Amino acid sequence: MKTPLALLAGIILVSLIACSGMDIGSVTRVVQQTFQAATPLSDEEEYYVGRAVAARILSTYSLLEDRKLTEYVNLVGNTVAVNSDEPYTYGGYHFAVLNSEEINAFACPGGIILITKGMLYATQNEDELAAVLAHEVAHINNRDGVSAIQKARLTEVATLIGKEAAQRYTPAELSQLVTAFEGSIDDVFKTLVVNGYSKTQEYRADEDAITYLKRAGYDPYALKNFLVRLQSQGQGSTGGIMKTHPATSERIARVEKELPSDQFDQSLVQLRAKRFKKAL
Amino acid sequence: MKLYLIGFLILASASVSSHAETLTVITKQNAIRTSCQFFAPVKAMVYYNDVLEVTSKQGDWYQVRFNGLPGCIHKSAVDKKSFTLSKITGSQGQSASGGEVALAGKGFNPQVESAYKRSNPGLNYTAVNRVEGYTVSDKQVLQFIQTGRLTPP
Repeated sequence: MKTPLALLAGIILVSLIACSGMDIGSVTRVVQQTFQAATPLSDEEEYYVGRAVAARILSTYSLLEDRKLTEYVNLVGNTVAVNSDEPYTYGGYHFAVLNSEEINAFACPGGIILITKGMLYATQNEDELAAVLAHEVAHINNRDGVSAIQKARLTEVATLIGKEAAQRYTPAELSQLVTAFEGSIDDVFKTLVVNGYSKTQEYRADEDAITYLKRAGYDPYALKNFLVRLQSQGQGSTGGIMKTHPATSERIARVEKELPSDQFDQSLVQLRAKRFKKAL
Repeated sequence: MKLYLIGFLILASASVSSHAETLTVITKQNAIRTSCQFFAPVKAMVYYNDVLEVTSKQGDWYQVRFNGLPGCIHKSAVDKKSFTLSKITGSQGQSASGGEVALAGKGFNPQVESAYKRSNPGLNYTAVNRVEGYTVSDKQVLQFIQTGRLTPP
């Protein structure tokens, strides 16, 4: 059974006061460290982790310098994000296109979403693009990136900083923090770019993406349509996004279960497809 | 064990009662809106760590008061700070609230980022800043939703 954090901290506080000769300051410190060790990353910290991960990705991939296209992707992405479970993050959602033919997309913790030109052109209309971006927004909402950080790193940092969290650090403390930060970035980067999220996280992101699409008024079938086409074109099993994602057939089967029985008005998809074509 | 639990419950209830009506902004910046919906006109801007007084809750939105100004803010932009050790222990200047601890977190902040950048000069933070500069206004998004016959949130 998972002990509630506040209860745990409370028990420690009361026990220490009752049973020892410790001064209040020491008691306070112990409780604070208990909070820190068990508290997940704050939105602000997640933001800095996300920036570092993005900086690493952008050291390999270059940005596609197309102002109109980038604005369009940001409009689609923000339409989905505002309908997600976490419409606001510390630094907000920002979408950018990577100048790569590879079919891939990366959700950096905190809200930076990078989609390759290859992925963009693999989608056939705005609703499919929205589906891809909704899947990435879901990874951010679910904090799938930062969940890859080894708990030991965070515990180490929590122990190090104690109650001094909001102050400036000494050179020695800073050095230890940077090491932990670097390790955290490695953990997230490996998950995003090399190993991929767990199957459970991917299936949940698909499921959530359908919810966001429905809320936004996009065709929820768009995700399935995209995956089916990707699979039929032979890109369903290797390279890019498929290297790090579960088998497309399994994703399709699971997505189908989440779809509504009534068909979506295709005239709306066609209406939006016009501006998609214009933007691309 | 039983005694500890009772003791804790008393402390927890005291804490909640003294802090249940404030929220802290957890985004770099956000807006206090005239009504509880996305894209409603902005009454005032609020910034990270600003403290808002809660007057009521309406679905996913809080009705708040900031500097005497009433308005609405979405729940994902704020966090509760209701566990204040100084209130419980009576200590002065030695304790931080649970909220402060959560907000300050485990120390990944601009100072750490700067040091990390210095030791990893190959990382492309310039491009990251460029990406963060890609923004679309509320007005643009709303117009995009309307012209695409999508559903406003």
